[in-house]
Amino acid sequence: MLRPRGSKVLLLGNEAIARGALEASICFAAAYPGTPSTEIVEVLSEVAKECGIYVEWSVNEKVAFESAYGAAIAGVRSLTAMKHVGLNVASDILMSSAYAGVEEGFVVVTADDPSAHSSQNEQDNRWYGLLAHLPVLEPSNAREAYKLVKEAFKLSSKYKIPAIFRSTTRISHTRMPVLLEEDIPVEKKCKGEFTVDYERWVLVPAHTRRRKLELLKIWEALRGEDHYVTLYNQGLEKVIVASGLAYTYVREVLNLLNLTNKVTIVKVNMPVPLPRKPLLKTLEYAREILVVEELDPVVEMQLKDIIVTSGFKVNIRGKDLVPENYELTIEAVYRAIAKFMGVEDKLPWERVEPIKLDPPIPPRPPTLCAGCPHRSTYYAVKVAANKARLRNVVYTGDIGCYTLGYQKPFETQMTCFEMGGSIGVAHGLAKVIENPIVAVIGDSTFYHAGIPPALNTVYNKSSVLVLVLDNMTTAMTGHQPHPGAGITATGEATIRVAPESVLSSLGFKVYIINPLHVKEAIEELTKAFEEFKHGVNVAVVSRMKCALEVLRNARRRGVVLPVYAIVENKCTSCMACVKLTACPAIVIDPGSKKPHIESSLCAGCGLCAVICPYRAIVVTNKPSENWEALWWGP
Amino acid sequence: MRNYNILIVGVGGQGLLTLGSVIGVACAIRGLDVAVAEVHGMSQRGGSVVVYVRIGEELSPIMPMSSADHMLALELIEAARYIHHVRRMGYATINDFLWPPPLSLYPSRDQLISKVKSRDIRLHVVDANDMSIKITGSSISANIAILGYALGVDESLRELLELDVVEKSLEEHFRGRALELNKSLLKIAFEEGLKRGE
Repeated sequence: MLRPRGSKVLLLGNEAIARGALEASICFAAAYPGTPSTEIVEVLSEVAKECGIYVEWSVNEKVAFESAYGAAIAGVRSLTAMKHVGLNVASDILMSSAYAGVEEGFVVVTADDPSAHSSQNEQDNRWYGLLAHLPVLEPSNAREAYKLVKEAFKLSSKYKIPAIFRSTTRISHTRMPVLLEEDIPVEKKCKGEFTVDYERWVLVPAHTRRRKLELLKIWEALRGEDHYVTLYNQGLEKVIVASGLAYTYVREVLNLLNLTNKVTIVKVNMPVPLPRKPLLKTLEYAREILVVEELDPVVEMQLKDIIVTSGFKVNIRGKDLVPENYELTIEAVYRAIAKFMGVEDKLPWERVEPIKLDPPIPPRPPTLCAGCPHRSTYYAVKVAANKARLRNVVYTGDIGCYTLGYQKPFETQMTCFEMGGSIGVAHGLAKVIENPIVAVIGDSTFYHAGIPPALNTVYNKSSVLVLVLDNMTTAMTGHQPHPGAGITATGEATIRVAPESVLSSLGFKVYIINPLHVKEAIEELTKAFEEFKHGVNVAVVSRMKCALEVLRNARRRGVVLPVYAIVENKCTSCMACVKLTACPAIVIDPGSKKPHIESSLCAGCGLCAVICPYRAIVVTNKPSENWEALWWGP
Repeated sequence: MRNYNILIVGVGGQGLLTLGSVIGVACAIRGLDVAVAEVHGMSQRGGSVVVYVRIGEELSPIMPMSSADHMLALELIEAARYIHHVRRMGYATINDFLWPPPLSLYPSRDQLISKVKSRDIRLHVVDANDMSIKITGSSISANIAILGYALGVDESLRELLELDVVEKSLEEHFRGRALELNKSLLKIAFEEGLKRGE
C-alpha cells in the first residue's frame, strides 16, 4: 500500500481506491464496514499512523458521512466509504451536503452489489447522483479505480461539492496489477478551519432556496466535464455506449465478435450527470445506439433525454437487450451486442452441460461456522422458550452472520430487511399480533441502528424481548472494532460501552448469558422469558466471541482448545448432534450410520456434547488451562 | 499472448482467496496482466466459493461459462458443481476431499469422481490435504499443494508462471516458518505433478 512511485503492485480494487485517495492527500477517512466496501477504510486504518492521517470506524454510515463531511467543510480532504445500502442510512446528510457543499475535496464511495452477493438488494446508487444533484464517477475496472478516485477528488475540489464514486463488487473485489503513478505526499493539510457562514451551513428554507440555485449552476457546469467520456472510432452509424465496468465487457465481447472497428464506442466514466457534448457529437452520425450498463438504465434515460431535446432521429436500445437485474456476464453482453449488430448470437465456444447425479449435488449455502456462538445461543433460546412455555415465538432478525439462523434447525430469524430492523419491526408486530416476539440483533448492528427502536419499544410500551448477540466485534465483515470493543480502528484503547449498559439506561432489565455454558445459559434464559411473560421489559445479552477470532488467537498464542469426538460404541445413531446443531464439523460418511467429528474443523464449543443424550461425545485432547478465556477476553 | 482462465472453487475457509492472490501476485511479478475476481462477506463462511483468475490484457472479471483452461478444486462436491465451467480438453486438478454441507444428502466420492472423469477434460485427483498434512502438520496448505501439482501437470500454465515466480509470490504472502513449509510443499507437489504429467 505504501510502495513508492513506479512500483507495480497487485491491488484489490478497494486497495486501489485507498491508495488513490492517499495520493490525493486525504487526511480523514470514516466508514462503517459493509461488503463490498470494507477494505477501503480497513487498509487506510492499517497505514493511518504511518501516513499521519485520521481514520475511524464510525457507528454507522450516517455518522461516518457526517464526520468526513465535517472535516471537508473545514477544508480537510476526506473520504467516506459504504456499501450501497449504507448510503440509504446516510442519505439525509447526502442530500443536504449537496446544497451546502464543501471547502475541500470530499469523496463518497458507494460500493454497489449487483447480483446481491452479500446484500439484501441490488440497488443502483447512481440514482443518488440524480436525486442529490451530485456527480457520480464510475471506473471500468479495478486499475482504473485507482486513477479515477484521484479525479473524483479534483472534481470535488473544483466545484466544492461532494463527489460520489461508484464501485461494484467486481471492481472492489477484483485484484489487478497497478502501476503506482505518484508517491503519497508527506505534506498534507490535516488541520482545518471552520468559517462561520450562516447562509451556507444553516439550511433553513431561505438559505436553502438560494443554495439550490447555486447547486443547479454547478449541475449544469458538470455536464461540460467532457473528459469523463471517451470516444473510440468516431463517426460510425452504430454506437455502443458503455458505462463503468460495462465498458470492459463490451471491449471483450467486441473482440470475440471481431467487430471492434465496426462501432463507435462511447466509454462513460461519469454517468451522472451525463456530459452532453461528446454524446451530441456521436449523435450526428449515429443511426442506432446500444447502451450497456449494469443494473438500471441511468445513462440510457439521460441519453434519451438528450436525443429528444436535440431532435436527432436515432434508434436507441438498452434495457430491452441488456438485463436490468444481476451483474453483467460476457454471455449476456455477447447476446445483446450480437443482436444489436445483426450477427448470430451463438456463443463462439462450446458450452458444456452441468453434470447430473443421484442424489443430486447438494446446494451449499453459507452456514454458521463450527464453534459459532450463534449456534449455541439459538439452541439455548429455543430450549428455554419451550421451558418457559412460550408458544409460536416470532423471531425478528437483522443483518449479520446470525441471519443464517433462518436455516434449519434454528429458525430464529423470521425477518431480515435492514440494519436495526429486527427491533423496529418487532415493535409494530407486537402491537398487532398475539405471539411472543423476540428481536434478535448483533452487537455491531445494535450500536449502528438498534438503539432508537429499542428506546421506542420501551417508550411506546410494546412487548418485545431484545436479544443482543454480542461477539464484541463486527464479525461478518472481518472483525472491525466497534464501541463495545474497547479499541479504535487504529488500535488505540478507548472507552468500552457494553450493550447492557445502553439497554439498562433505556429501561430494560438485562440478563447476560454465556452460551459456552449451555445449561446455565438455558436456565438464565428461562428466567428471562418468564419475566418477559409477566410484562417486564427484558433484554438478553449473549456474550461469546466469534469462533474465527478464537481459533486465530489460539493458533497465535499456542493455546490448545478442546477437540471433541464421538465414541462409536456409545453412539446410538440418534442423530441428535447432527440435527440439532447442523455443525459443519459433524459429518456422516456415505454408507455410515454414525456421524463423526472432523477433528481439524472442531472448535471445541462443546454444544454437541451437551446435546448428546448418550454422553457419547467427549473431549479427546488435553486443552490448555486458560482456553475458556479466549472466548471472552481480548 | 493467448488469454488463460483459471477457476478456483471450494468451500469458504479453504484458502481460496489466498490461492487467487498467490497466482495474481505471481502474474504481476512476471509482468503479466491479470484480473482476480473474488467474492467476500457472508458467502465465504462454509459456503460455495468461486474465484476467477483471468490472465491476459484488459479482461472482464468473470470468465464465460465453459471457458476455464484449468480448474483448481479444493473439494469434490464443489468440483462437480463447477466442472462445466471447464472447457473441452481443459485441465481440472481436484483435491480428493469430500466435505458435505451439513444436513444434506449427497453423492459418494466414487460417484463424484467417475462422473467428473466422464468429461472430456484432463483430470487429476490428488490428495492435497494429505500432502499438506505431511509437510505442515495440517490440511491448511492444501491450496498451495493443489497449485504446485497443477503447475506440474499443465505445461501451458507452466509457460506463464515458472515455479520460481510462484515461490517469489509466496514470499509476499507468508513469513518465517509458514513460508518455508509452503515453499517446500509447493515444490514437492510440483514434482509429483510433473511426474504424473509426463
